[in-house]
Amino acid sequence: MNRRTLFTLFGAGLALASTTSLVSAQSRADLMAAHRGGTLKLVARAAGGTIDPQVNYTLQYWQLYQSVYDGLVAFQKGNGIDGTVLVPDLAEAIPEATNDGKTYVFKLRQGIKFSDGSDLGVDDVVASFQRIFKVSSPTSGTFYNGIVGADACIADPATCTLEGGVIGDAAAGTVTINLVAPDPEFFFKIAVPHAAILPAEAPTTDVGVEPIPGTGAYMFTTYNPNDSLVMVRNPNFVEWSEQAQPDGYVDSIEYAFGLTDEGEVTAVQNGQADWMFDQPPTDRLAEIGTNYADQVHVNPLTAFWYAPMNVNVAPFNDVRVRQALNYAIDRNALVGIFGGQVLAQPVCQILPPGFPGHEDTCMYTKDPGTTWSAPDLEKAQALVDESGTKGMDITVITEDAVVSRDVGTYIASVLTDLGYNASVKAISSNIQFTYIQNTNNNVQISISQWYQDYPAASNFLNVLLSCASFHPGSDSSVNIAGFCDEGIDARMQAAMAQAVTDPEAANAEWAKIDQAMMEQAPMAPLFTPKHVDFLSKRVQNFNFSNQFQWVMAMSWVQ
Amino acid sequence: MIATILNRLIQMAFVMFGISVLVFLIFFATPGSDPAARIAGRNAAPETVAQIRHDFGFDRPLPVQYALLMKRLFITRDLTSFVNRGQQVIPQVIDAVPATLSLVTGAAILWVLGGIGVGLAAAAMRDTWVDRSLMILALIGISMPVFWLGEVMNLLSQSRFHDTWLFSWVPGLGYVPLTEDPAGWAKALVIPWLTLAVLYIGIYARILRANVIEAYSEDFIRTARAKGLSERRVLIRHAFRTSLLPFVTMFGLDFGALVGGAALLTEVVFGINGVGRLTFQALQNLDLPVILATVMYASFFVVAANAIVDLLYAAIDPRMRT
Amino acid sequence: MTDALTSTTSAPVPEKRSGRGPWATALSRLRRSRSAVLSSLVLLIIIVMCALAPFYASLAGSDPFRSNLGGKIMLNGAEVAVMQPSTTGLGLGVSPIGPTWTTQYMLGADTQGRDVAARLLYGGRNSLFIAGAATVICLILSAVIGIVAGFSGGVVDMVLSRIMDVLWAFPVYLLAISLSIVLLNSSFSIGPFTVTSGSLILPIGIIGVIYVPYVARPVRSKVLTLRNSEFVLASVGLGMPVHRVLTRDILPNVVPTLIVFVPILLALAIVTESALSFLSIGVQPPDASWGTIIQDGQTLLYSRPMVALAPGVAIAVTVLALNVLGDCLRDALDPRFKLG
Repeated sequence: MNRRTLFTLFGAGLALASTTSLVSAQSRADLMAAHRGGTLKLVARAAGGTIDPQVNYTLQYWQLYQSVYDGLVAFQKGNGIDGTVLVPDLAEAIPEATNDGKTYVFKLRQGIKFSDGSDLGVDDVVASFQRIFKVSSPTSGTFYNGIVGADACIADPATCTLEGGVIGDAAAGTVTINLVAPDPEFFFKIAVPHAAILPAEAPTTDVGVEPIPGTGAYMFTTYNPNDSLVMVRNPNFVEWSEQAQPDGYVDSIEYAFGLTDEGEVTAVQNGQADWMFDQPPTDRLAEIGTNYADQVHVNPLTAFWYAPMNVNVAPFNDVRVRQALNYAIDRNALVGIFGGQVLAQPVCQILPPGFPGHEDTCMYTKDPGTTWSAPDLEKAQALVDESGTKGMDITVITEDAVVSRDVGTYIASVLTDLGYNASVKAISSNIQFTYIQNTNNNVQISISQWYQDYPAASNFLNVLLSCASFHPGSDSSVNIAGFCDEGIDARMQAAMAQAVTDPEAANAEWAKIDQAMMEQAPMAPLFTPKHVDFLSKRVQNFNFSNQFQWVMAMSWVQ
Repeated sequence: MIATILNRLIQMAFVMFGISVLVFLIFFATPGSDPAARIAGRNAAPETVAQIRHDFGFDRPLPVQYALLMKRLFITRDLTSFVNRGQQVIPQVIDAVPATLSLVTGAAILWVLGGIGVGLAAAAMRDTWVDRSLMILALIGISMPVFWLGEVMNLLSQSRFHDTWLFSWVPGLGYVPLTEDPAGWAKALVIPWLTLAVLYIGIYARILRANVIEAYSEDFIRTARAKGLSERRVLIRHAFRTSLLPFVTMFGLDFGALVGGAALLTEVVFGINGVGRLTFQALQNLDLPVILATVMYASFFVVAANAIVDLLYAAIDPRMRT
Repeated sequence: MTDALTSTTSAPVPEKRSGRGPWATALSRLRRSRSAVLSSLVLLIIIVMCALAPFYASLAGSDPFRSNLGGKIMLNGAEVAVMQPSTTGLGLGVSPIGPTWTTQYMLGADTQGRDVAARLLYGGRNSLFIAGAATVICLILSAVIGIVAGFSGGVVDMVLSRIMDVLWAFPVYLLAISLSIVLLNSSFSIGPFTVTSGSLILPIGIIGVIYVPYVARPVRSKVLTLRNSEFVLASVGLGMPVHRVLTRDILPNVVPTLIVFVPILLALAIVTESALSFLSIGVQPPDASWGTIIQDGQTLLYSRPMVALAPGVAIAVTVLALNVLGDCLRDALDPRFKLG
């Protein structure tokens, strides 16, 4: 219903979302009658940490929160690009901005209850926004710092009130949010689980393993990170919007933790589990793609694998070396390591295909143009010779997971071919990401991945390569390359401001910024991965949302 | 007797203190191990990281942090994980014990019987082809990494031959509590038991064979033979008994360590949520509270098992009474 | 049965006692033992093959230390890709070429498209060196600690035993994870050696130390028995100095216990080394050891089991040969055997 508003707000990237795959109301009732019930059994290698929706920052649980918690607005539960469309959730409608784009007034729906039976009210909304800061939510300082009063909350979370920022009016049933400056991505930010609306009395510390009641179709009952997570129907749930929070088919969802990847595949093959969270190990791909083809779903991700090169450390402080590596990498070989052409696509730019602001372009290939074709070894060698860095020691830091290790080994082999003394070091997956960020560790080059939080170009370019996300000496400095170009930074600020009024022009500018960054080559983009969902025979009606992947509520098992 | 036990307990406290300090120091000496940034997630503002550091007390001096951790582990007993925040560590370990005990006890019975059987048979038939082939098998058992063997067993029993008569009885990976379903418990554990036992059967059989053969050259065996005792009696009553010493010593070490969680790879491969897997995941996540709890728990069993073995010495070999 | 048993303790032929020294006697005995000759031959072949690794690599025509993901080889007159994408069903996955049983990719390729056979030969050098050195260190340390603890008793025994307990209960993997990260940027020096994370001294040292409790405790219990045995009590009673009692009476009786552990330690060391190198300690990619090839093969277990199988077989055969040779050597040198 607000598709039009959204279209003008978020531009070309979402324009494709013109049709909806949702079935008509009548047939949905029939399907519900025919297929309702049963238990969905999920398996994962490990649990995803705290169950607190305002603290957890893993796709593993964000996927579950879709059916458990609601925000004022939500990403639509639908297939493909539909999943990136914003719809009103606990709010009756997505409001128009007032006050030069700085004020939004949300009218809360009436009659919604939390799973513990209490009514949802404006107090809950106000308290939930304060809670983001009180629990030091990971994104409190990056997503929600634009709300009036957020500065004080970040400085002293315990006394956070967001005075003048989030104002509830119980009589009118409205919540007013004031921003410091217009933000084209504001709705995205409040649609992710960190802005979920929880009961006002929810503890103001990370709840860890004690689930908080929510408003969604399901609720968490027990959680033991070493064993399992159980979800059952929320007894107080009455569907108010099929797009925002559809009722689910299955009665309960049981998530078991602790099998190896190989064990997970086998369990799904033998029907002992319905779905595996982790990606199937590469030696099983051919087997499941051949013998279980109808149980496998392959979908593109808005993500990329890349090799950040530290622009402040030799030899990558020389732009020629960074360009040389970009020219020399055989991206097809890496696609093979990941699982073949069906599962990945070579890229040599930052914004993933299909993402707002993406325009096909590749400057680091044999015949520069729109797509990558083959490595250009002569050019690469010439650039290295010119730079005079031949023979230097280079260490590639990878995670100790199989694919990351293989990618790193290949990159080291390429660097060796270019005349360096390269080696590869794999370190514990859990530490690698913080280790490579900290400038004190002098990491030259590493292997990393980036997945979108929400579909906006700034979520890649501004987050990964702006001066603001470079914090020397900190473990939390996501600009791993340490790239800071004031000219490009200014252009990014301008593009974000422009997106408020003219998103299409802004996206065109983001495409140019992408190219300008690639000329500096602070990273070597490698490939865009696709996601494999491997399901048991009995799971039907699989829908893959580009935002949160498999929409479990829409599938049935009987 | 009470003095001996008390003495051992004090020694145990020292061992546990030593290990905990070492683990603690190693953890904080590792770059990137500071959990604050890992908890804060990708792209967190520096203020948020600082706030989390403060919440967890990572900004305090190390000795204070150590004392607080130990207090919460042993006195208030409410220590919680860094990674799965809010999850209490002690119940976690206690919940994991039955699975580990089931796995290790079953495997221990197998390897003691197997080790004695193979070792004695090889010693009795020394230098025949039987002896040679048994020892070759034992060495192959030792040469196979347990993780690899476990995966191969899974490959055969869960995948390749799962639908044949040979393995159709094998249930899915995971642990079934004994109290819930005794038959299911045994079925789920048969293959893990075998996998874990193979290595130790190999080691114990070789050790036993060597010791029995060595014992044969001792004077008292010759005396026994001279007295006209049957070969079987000489083997079992005399040679075997004196050879038990290293056997029991090593059993104490292995059993203590395994109950303490050293069977981690076996537990991981077979999806058994025991102490070993807990240790493994804690190490992977660098989750200091869980690492400390599991290491304390493991050292308790190692020291206790060795104490029991020392007491047993006197029963096995009267010469060892000091 | 009885024959087999008595033959070991029966008096040897008397002529052995005349003329030649014990080493020469042992050597001549070894030469006449069929198993000794056979196992030496096997070991010799393994060592020669490992030494000739570069020769095979040049014959195979590919560098076993460089990725060869886009490579092609000629097989039976047809050109075949080293990394082969799946062509059935959904076409998921890329599998390395399997064993060809020709000079190129005899045992197939690993996930980087490298020749497994060539890596196996190169890897043997690292594995044998690490395992051998670690075993020697472990045996020496264990003998010293076990004898001192067992013979001294009292406080010395208690302290040493508890240190062994700490070592045995210590999470070595935590140390390895930590060391690997610490050493990424820095190195430290032990005497004349500078240790970096790729240095082989680390795995040798770690493996050599972590198995000390496993060997030292049986040695200690053996020494406890010996200490109260008649001949030791007699020596002490006669006023023999302690060091002579230790070297004359205790050590020779401990040696057989130590020798039993040699093949066990070798096998355990090769396997443990792979776990350490997985954590970036010791043999570093693209370099290889048998253990690291097993690790590589682990990720190919379901599609190319040969990659993990081949190094496993190599380890088993080597350890076996060493073990048989060790047994023969012990028999040949056994003093009781000589004196009858």
